[in-house]
Amino acid sequence: MKNIEVNKFKLYTGRDLTQGIAMERDGKFGEKYLDAVSYIEMNPIDIERLGISDRCRVEGKYGHIVLPVKASDSVQEGTVFIPMGPWANILVDPETESTGMPKLKGVDVLILPTEEEITSLKDILRRYGVKEFDIQPIDRPLKAGETCIVKDVVCTFCGELCDYLEISLEGERIKRVKGGCAISNAKLLNYHRHRILKPMIRSDDGKLREATLEEAIEKTIEILSKSKYPLLYGWSNTSTQATEIGIELAEVLGGVIDNTTVMCHGPTALAAQEVGTARATLGLVKHFVDVIIFWGSNAVHAHPNHFARWIIPEGKIVKGRKERKIIVIDVRKTATAKQADIFIQIEPEKDFELVTALRMLLKDIEIETDNVAGVSLDKLYELIEIMKTARYGAFFIGMGLTMTGAKFRTIQELIKLAHDLNEWTRFVMIPMRGHYNVTGSNEAMLWSSGYPYSIEFSRKFPRMIPGFTTTPDLLMHGEVDAALIIASDPVAHFPQKAIEHLSKIPVIVIDPKWSLTTTIADVIIPTTMMGIESEGTAYRMDGVAIRLRKIVEPPEGVPTDLEILKKILEGVMKERGLM
Amino acid sequence: MDLLIKNGYVYDPLNNINGDVMDIGVRQGKIVDPSEIDQRKARVIDAKNMVVMPGGIDIHSHIAGPKVSTGRLIKPEDHYLSNIPGKLPYRRAQTGVAVPNVFKIGYCYAEMGYTTVAEAASPPLKARHTHEEMDAIPIIDKMTYILVDSNWIGLDYAEKGDVEVLAAYYAWILDSTKGYALKLVDPGSDVAWLYGKMCLDIDDYIPGYSLRPRDLIEMVGKASEYLNLPHQIHVHCNRLGYPGNYITTLETMKLAQKFAVGDEPSLHITHVQFTGYKGDNWSDLRSGGEDIAKSLNRNRYVTLDLGQVVPGFKALTMTADAPFEFVLYHLTRGKWSFADVEAETASGIVPYEYKKKNYVNTIQWVIGLEVLLLTEDLWRVYVTTDHPNAGPFTAYPKVFSWLLSNKAREEIIQEMNRRAVSLSALPAIDRELSLYDIAILTRASPAKTLGLDKFKGHLGIGAQADIAIYDLNPGEIDLSKEYKLIAEKLRRAKYTIKDGKIVVKDGEVIATTYGYTYYSKAEIAEDLMKKVVEGVKDKFKTYYSVTYDNFIIRENELRNPKAIRVKPIVGGG
Repeated sequence: MKNIEVNKFKLYTGRDLTQGIAMERDGKFGEKYLDAVSYIEMNPIDIERLGISDRCRVEGKYGHIVLPVKASDSVQEGTVFIPMGPWANILVDPETESTGMPKLKGVDVLILPTEEEITSLKDILRRYGVKEFDIQPIDRPLKAGETCIVKDVVCTFCGELCDYLEISLEGERIKRVKGGCAISNAKLLNYHRHRILKPMIRSDDGKLREATLEEAIEKTIEILSKSKYPLLYGWSNTSTQATEIGIELAEVLGGVIDNTTVMCHGPTALAAQEVGTARATLGLVKHFVDVIIFWGSNAVHAHPNHFARWIIPEGKIVKGRKERKIIVIDVRKTATAKQADIFIQIEPEKDFELVTALRMLLKDIEIETDNVAGVSLDKLYELIEIMKTARYGAFFIGMGLTMTGAKFRTIQELIKLAHDLNEWTRFVMIPMRGHYNVTGSNEAMLWSSGYPYSIEFSRKFPRMIPGFTTTPDLLMHGEVDAALIIASDPVAHFPQKAIEHLSKIPVIVIDPKWSLTTTIADVIIPTTMMGIESEGTAYRMDGVAIRLRKIVEPPEGVPTDLEILKKILEGVMKERGLM
Repeated sequence: MDLLIKNGYVYDPLNNINGDVMDIGVRQGKIVDPSEIDQRKARVIDAKNMVVMPGGIDIHSHIAGPKVSTGRLIKPEDHYLSNIPGKLPYRRAQTGVAVPNVFKIGYCYAEMGYTTVAEAASPPLKARHTHEEMDAIPIIDKMTYILVDSNWIGLDYAEKGDVEVLAAYYAWILDSTKGYALKLVDPGSDVAWLYGKMCLDIDDYIPGYSLRPRDLIEMVGKASEYLNLPHQIHVHCNRLGYPGNYITTLETMKLAQKFAVGDEPSLHITHVQFTGYKGDNWSDLRSGGEDIAKSLNRNRYVTLDLGQVVPGFKALTMTADAPFEFVLYHLTRGKWSFADVEAETASGIVPYEYKKKNYVNTIQWVIGLEVLLLTEDLWRVYVTTDHPNAGPFTAYPKVFSWLLSNKAREEIIQEMNRRAVSLSALPAIDRELSLYDIAILTRASPAKTLGLDKFKGHLGIGAQADIAIYDLNPGEIDLSKEYKLIAEKLRRAKYTIKDGKIVVKDGEVIATTYGYTYYSKAEIAEDLMKKVVEGVKDKFKTYYSVTYDNFIIRENELRNPKAIRVKPIVGGG
C-alpha cells in the first residue's frame, strides 16, 4: 500500500546546459544526450525519507518510468526535477485548460523506491509503436581546402542570436569558434555530424528506405493533399522566409500552422493580447538597466552568453555588473540563482500570488498576512523598494512562468506590474526565447495572419483559438490527420498523449539532423543547416532581425528549407487545381 | 500585353490635364503614346464616361514594421469580425481593420486605386523587419522613412555642428537601412523617455546633449537639404497631443526657411491635426487649424499632411513618440505596449476610439478639415489619416467626400459634438474641391514631394503605368450632392493598373503581384564617407548590440529594391 501523502511530489521539468551541449555534439541518439535527460533530481532529505537507493519509480497520470536519482540541494523538499525530454514527456500533464500550454512544471507525481530496470529510450518509443530503430546518422562529406576566418557569424541556437562569432574554417570543416558559448561551440564544430543526407520513405514493413528527393516530395504532396486537416508544425529553427511559405501552404490546404511558441512563450503572447507589452532591445539593457529580475528563467543554462553580453559589460549609463542588482525568483536554486545578489525561492505554483502582492505593495495596499508564496512580507517590501528605486529595471521571464500555475494570467499580472512601475521609474519585461528564430516565426505569422501562432484556415481565413487550434490540444484530441514537422522535434518535447496521436498519423519530417520525431516519420527530407549552409533571416528575442549567412556549401543534393517548401506548395496547388 | 485605355476623362495635374477625354497607352509597364499601340493586339479598356487618374500615393501610413506587428499582437479583436476568405490563387485571406494583415493592406490600397505608400517610421535597428514586412505587402510600391530624432550617433555628430559629416552619416544610415527619408518624431523626447522624463518642447535641452529640438531639426534639415534627398525632412512636432501645442508647430514651421534651398519646401509637418491644438487643457481645447493654414499659406518652405480623424473609428495609436503614448495610456487605462530601442528611439501603442459626440474628438476632426480647406496652395498639403492613428487608410474616400461636398460636411456635423462645432470655423467654410484638386492632393503633389514626379504621379509618356480608373462620369455627376456615391466609387476602382498589369477589376483584386521598394542613395565623397564609416564603426562597438556588418541591409535582401540616387548640392562625388 502506497503512503500517498509522503510520496506526493511536484515535478519540474526544464532545460540544462549539458543537455544542449550533448544534443549538438553527439546527436539526440547519443549516449551523452540520453544520459543528460534521463535522471531525476531530488532533495537529499526526501531521498533519505523515502529510503531511495540509486533509482526511483515516478508515476504520473498517464504512465510511469524508472529513473536514476541524483541528490541536489537546489531542489526544494517535496519537488523533483527531470530535464525536458522523452522521459519527462511520460509524466507531464497534457491538459492545457484552453491555453494551448500543457502543464510541464508543477506536475503532481508519486515517487516510490524501486529496484526495477531503468526505463530506456527504446521502452519509451515502443509506447509510440516504434518497432524499427533504424536511424542512420552519418557525417556529411567535408571538402578539404584553404584555412580562412569568417567574422560576424551568427549562432543559430538560442534566441540571443550572438552575431559576433569568429569561425576558423579549414575547407568546409569548422575548426575553431571564437566568442560562442559551450552550446554554440558544440553546434558549430559538429554541424556536419549525425546528418540526414538522403530522403527516406517508410515502407509498409515499417522500415525506412532511401528515396530520391522527387519521390519524397511526391509522397509528401500525396499525404498533405489527402489529408482533411493537416498540421504544419515547428518553424522556429529555420528562416522567417520558410514560415511565410508555410503559412501559404496552410492556407492552400485549409490546415493548421503552428510554431513552437505554443510550447514555450505561448502564454506570454496571450498575456500581451490582454494587456500589451513592456519591451526594450537588449542593448538598452546593457546601457540603462541596473535592476534585473530573472523570474522562472535559468539563463545561465538556456542562454549561456546572456550575462556576458548584457550584464557584465559597461553600458552608456550603468557601468558593469557591480552597478547592477540581480534578483532571481525560482522554485529551484538554479545556476542563475547562484549568480544572483538576491535569490527568492518561491513555493511551487505561487508566482501569481507573488506578483499580485508586489502590485499591491506598489499601490500601498496593505497585505494581511506575513508570508506570500513562501516569501516574508519584509522581503516583499525590500523587493518592491528595489524595483521602485531602480534607474531602469528589467524582468526576464522564462518557462518557469509560462508552463505552470496560472499560466498567461501570471504573465499578464507581471506585465501590469511593469506598467505600474513605469509610474515610478522605467521598467520592461522581456521574454527569454528559446529557439533561435521562434520570434521571427511569430512575426511572420503576425504580419501574414494577425496572430502569433496556432493559426488555422479551415474557413479560408485565419483563426487562432487557444485550446482548439493549439498543437497540443489538436494532437491530444486527435483533430489532425497528417503532420509536417519542420525544424522541431515534438517527440522529444510533447506530452505522451500528444505523441501517441502523432505516431498514428502520417508524418513528414524536414530536418538536417536525426530527431526523435524521425522514428515515427513516414517521410524524411534532409535539409541544410540554416546560417551555416544556407541563408535567411532570424529575429533575436528582442525583435531585432539579423541576416543569417551561408558560410559553407551545403552537402551535395541536399536542398534548403525554402526549396523543399516551394516544391511542396507548388505540388499541392497543382493537385488542387490552383496552378 | 499592351493596354489601351480609351476615351476616359483624364485628370493629370502634373501635365495640366483637367478632365480632358483622352486615350492612354501602356507598354511594358510604362505609359506610351496611344498611337503606338496596335488595337488589334492590345487589351482595350473602354473608359468612356469614367475618370482616369495616375495611381494614388500615400505619403504617411503605418503599414509595416515592429510596431505594426506588435499592434496586431495586442489587438486580436481587430481581426475577429473583419475576415475576407482567400480566393486562391488570385487573392490571399484578408483580416483586420486598424492593423490588417499584409495582404489586406496591399489589396485595399489597390482597390482604392492607390499604388504607392510610404511607411512612416522605422527604427534603423529594426529596418530589416520593416523591409521583410513591406516585401510581404502585395501590389503597391513602398518605401520607409528612418527615425533619426533620438539617434545617439546622429546627436553626437549634430552636437559637433559639422553639417557635412552629419549628412554623410545620414547618407550612410539611409543606405544601410534602405530607407527613403529622414524622420523626426518629437525630436529628442525619446532620449528623455529613457531617463523616465516626458515630452520636450522645442526649446528644452535634450538630456545629456547641448542641443534643443530646435537645433536638431535645423541640423537635420541642413543635412537633408545638403544631401539633396528626394523627400525633405518629415517632422512629427514636439508636444504632440498636448493642448496648446499649435504654438510649437508654428515655431517648427518657421525653421524651414533656415535650411531651404531655393524656393522648394524643406520641411514636412506630419499629421498636423495632432499638433494643432489651441487652449490650455482638454476642456477648453480649440482648433488651431486656421492659424496653421495661415502660416502655411505664408511659408512656401513647408508642406504638411493632415492626420485626419475619422469619427467612429476604433484606432490603434502607434508612434515613436513613446512618452506621448504613456500620457494616452493614462487617459484610456486600457492596453499599452511600448518598446525602447538602444541608441535610436522608442515607441508606444495604445488603442483609442474616436467618438462623434465627444468634444475633444470633434475638435480633432475639425482641425484636419480646417487646415485643408483654408490652405490656398493644394500642392503643399496631403490627405492622410496617419493610419491607424486617426483613421484607417480605407476611409480616404470618406474624407474626400467631406472635401468635395459642403453638404457632406453639413450632414456629419449634425452628428458631432455641438459645442465643439459651434466654437470652430468649419461650418462657415463653404469651399468645395474638384476632382482635379483630389488628383493634386493624392497623385501629383505627393509624387512631387517624394521626388518621384519624373515617373510617378502622372500619365505622361515614360511614366510608370500605375493607373486608377473610377466608374464616375464627371459630366453627369454632381460632386457636391452625390457624395455618398462618389465615396463608394473611389473606394472601389473600376480598374487599377500596376506596372501595366490589371490588378483590380470592378473593385476586386484579381491578381497578387509585388511592387518596388524605393530607397535613397546619396553619393558622398569617398574620403568623407571613409572618415564617417570609421567613426560609426567605433561607436557601434559601444552603442549597438549587433555588429556593424550585421546591421547593414544588403540590396539582395529586398524583393524589388530601387535606389533613388542623389548628388549632394555642394561637393560630393
